[in-house]
Amino acid sequence: MVYISITLNFYPGTVAQWSQNQTQDQHQIHTSSHVHSPAPCPSSSHPSPILSSITSPVSVALTCRSYSSQQQPPVPELNQTVDPYQLLDEDMKDLYRDIRKELISNTNQEELRTIATYYFDGQGKAVRPMVTVLMGRAINYHLNRNELTEAQRQVAMFAEMIHSASLIHDDVIDQSDFRRGKPSVNVVYNHKKVAMAGDFILAVACQMISRLRDNDVTLTLSQIMTDLVQGEFMQLGSKETENERFAHYLTKTYRKTASLIANCSAMLGGADDQLSEVAFEYGRNLGIAFQLVDDLLDFISSSDAMGKPAAADLKLGLATAPVLFACEKYPELKPHDHATISRTRKHCVEAVRLANILAESPYQKGLIVLTDLVLNRMK
Amino acid sequence: MFLRSGLHHCNKAHRNVWPLCKNFSNGTKHTHVRPDWNKAVSDAEKIVGYPTSFLSLRWLLSDEIANVALHLRKLVGSSHPLLKTAKNLLYTGTNNMQAWGLIVLLISKTVGHSRDINEIEQDKSAGVLHSQRALAEVTEMIRTSNLIHKGLINIYPGLYSEEHVLTDMEFGNKIALLSGDYLLANSCAELAALKNQHLVELMSSAVRDLSEGEFVGRQDRQNNPLPPKDLHLTQSEQNTDLKQRIPKDNQGYNSFLENNSKESCLSIEEMSCSGIKSNENNLTTQKASTLENRPMKRHKPKTIRDIIDSLPFLQNNNEDISILFESHSQAVQDWTNRNLLLGASLLGKSCQGTLLLAGHDEAVQQLGYEFGKHLALSWQAFVELETFAHYQQQHTPSSDSNPPTSNELFSLVSAPVLFHLEYATPESRDKVVAQIDNGTDSIFNVDLNTVHQEVSQGPGVLLTKLLQHHHSTRALNVLFQFENSDARNALIKIIQVMDNS
Repeated sequence: MVYISITLNFYPGTVAQWSQNQTQDQHQIHTSSHVHSPAPCPSSSHPSPILSSITSPVSVALTCRSYSSQQQPPVPELNQTVDPYQLLDEDMKDLYRDIRKELISNTNQEELRTIATYYFDGQGKAVRPMVTVLMGRAINYHLNRNELTEAQRQVAMFAEMIHSASLIHDDVIDQSDFRRGKPSVNVVYNHKKVAMAGDFILAVACQMISRLRDNDVTLTLSQIMTDLVQGEFMQLGSKETENERFAHYLTKTYRKTASLIANCSAMLGGADDQLSEVAFEYGRNLGIAFQLVDDLLDFISSSDAMGKPAAADLKLGLATAPVLFACEKYPELKPHDHATISRTRKHCVEAVRLANILAESPYQKGLIVLTDLVLNRMK
Repeated sequence: MFLRSGLHHCNKAHRNVWPLCKNFSNGTKHTHVRPDWNKAVSDAEKIVGYPTSFLSLRWLLSDEIANVALHLRKLVGSSHPLLKTAKNLLYTGTNNMQAWGLIVLLISKTVGHSRDINEIEQDKSAGVLHSQRALAEVTEMIRTSNLIHKGLINIYPGLYSEEHVLTDMEFGNKIALLSGDYLLANSCAELAALKNQHLVELMSSAVRDLSEGEFVGRQDRQNNPLPPKDLHLTQSEQNTDLKQRIPKDNQGYNSFLENNSKESCLSIEEMSCSGIKSNENNLTTQKASTLENRPMKRHKPKTIRDIIDSLPFLQNNNEDISILFESHSQAVQDWTNRNLLLGASLLGKSCQGTLLLAGHDEAVQQLGYEFGKHLALSWQAFVELETFAHYQQQHTPSSDSNPPTSNELFSLVSAPVLFHLEYATPESRDKVVAQIDNGTDSIFNVDLNTVHQEVSQGPGVLLTKLLQHHHSTRALNVLFQFENSDARNALIKIIQVMDNS
């Protein structure tokens, strides 16, 4: 029996720890508010009934076996005991410690150290570095290599650092009160310092990557940063017509979330273009699915909490997927979650297909399980 | 020759603030244009190809910035500082923001590049590499991004009672944050495109320094900097052997004097007057009025003769002045540390980086760093002097009823104030310290008129002039190690214009 523990962060004011039993097809989800969470979200303990109709993610995974390319030996039964978190325990153990060390060694200002390391306390889901390391190891295995290289590890660190830097800046923008079970960084420290701390993390991350002395890695990773910012700008509002809005949303989602996951997992020493493409596409699909679910959860929680669908998102001027689907089909803004779910599943199915191109290994299976986890967050 | 003219500044200082100068510590300044400066810059721009102000057009015309401009409209009428930052960027763009990029290009051309560089990489007519031009642009982008992020407002409960003002301010913060991020991300991308990982490392560390600078020292609730407490005591704690011999109030200063003293005959004020007298003949009246207005014997005369002997422009002995400006003064340490992080590091590293791109070895790159660092510090000291003098001009006792706008305020951590806190008489220092302690919540609670009056009568302005001169001399010394060229002369001219004001 494998016990997976994920800390989820919803947007404003909700943090819940999800404990998930993954041994059988029926997924029993317990939700419980995080120990430190002062404001548990009502919806997290009462999942929306809409979602109960989703097909079991395992059957999703199994159905996709048919997509897998012919040269791969058929796997009789997907081994559901693979737990990415446990699998990468060794790799991930020191990740946060190393990031903190890197940040602290770069300044003598105590307050800057405190703010910059605020979210590197090990409470995050660490999805980005996890995908990066999993993919790195899966590819290594595919290429008959064993060890995760230092460069691959540093890219994983970079992924988490850039993500945190953008979280810190998001906190200032969104004025959120809680994140990851504690007060948001903008509540505890002043805005200018928080903004500067974000810049600081970014600078240290760039410095770390430049020491790999690899032009292509630096180029690709700098692309992530411009994507992130462009995504943020797209979130400010769109000039597109109704029809283009969803395309706009998907591009934004790619830039804000998927680009980081995709590009980082494609950073592999020695992989050829084709293999990099597989890794990139896997990351892209997983990233979009991940963000779709995130937005859906956000939507549901705001509907439940406020009794007014999408009120929070509309107030913030954000266009999230459920709202968009709802706008398309229901003028009265009734959420149409099924559309989001099927879209999410499409991306997960594609991610699984791509993962199956790689040689079978615990890590490759981990990549498949990860798509399950993304879908399962919805329940 | 122009080295000797530094002291002229003391009496001619009160005029329009120099256009180039940005006040690092206090955000942006909207300033007037001076003809000699303009000429020095436009001559210099011709040397490196085309006006460096064109550098910014590319990112100014991008979708994202157009988007920002749209959103800025919503902020018109609110008091968010982003508007002022944007205005300064756009309307005074020709001379303001591009100066640093121009310096990077000029030093690139001054030093030249290694023969191994491929011809395709060269901009033959301008004498610089395309990559160096890109780096100059990145320098400006990093600096602008930092200025924009500094222009955020710290919003805390109770700051704005009206809901719509709060909304405006939050929105302004959001746009400011995103615009800064946009520039930062794009400077990363441009740097990466240069495919030189050492350069990426160098420039990333400059960004790190800029962000670290925001955390230095005491601050009010909007992060406006306040001077450290007990500046005059810090040094004495390090020099315990002097404690018994020297009265506490003047320890820092005297400890320096003790090391060099042969005889004691001049006070700080006398030093300033004698310095002026030695350079200009028609100042006797000024001296007389100075002596008349000031209670000269308020405090123990300082042993100054030796300082004068050690001044570089009086004796061409750079080593001794370096002792004052690099180790003995707590004020200088605090000032240098802060301004290194807040700007000099960026210019130094850009100048270093451009020589790296040109294929020079580490020793030459180091010269680039020294040049950029000292030039930036000299600029900073100069801006502070001009701002301080400008304040005096505008706020004579008769105009007390018109409160100054923040643009015209001098910084409480500017060199004149810091020097005053370390070296002034105890009575005068206590008056200033009392005012500064009023500013713990907001520096606007400080009565700057009192601070200005006290500092004007103390040693701060003169010492700052010396500090500025020290750094320009160091920058010039680097330049003199390279062959004579039009680019080098343009740099010398720029420093000269600054030093002669």
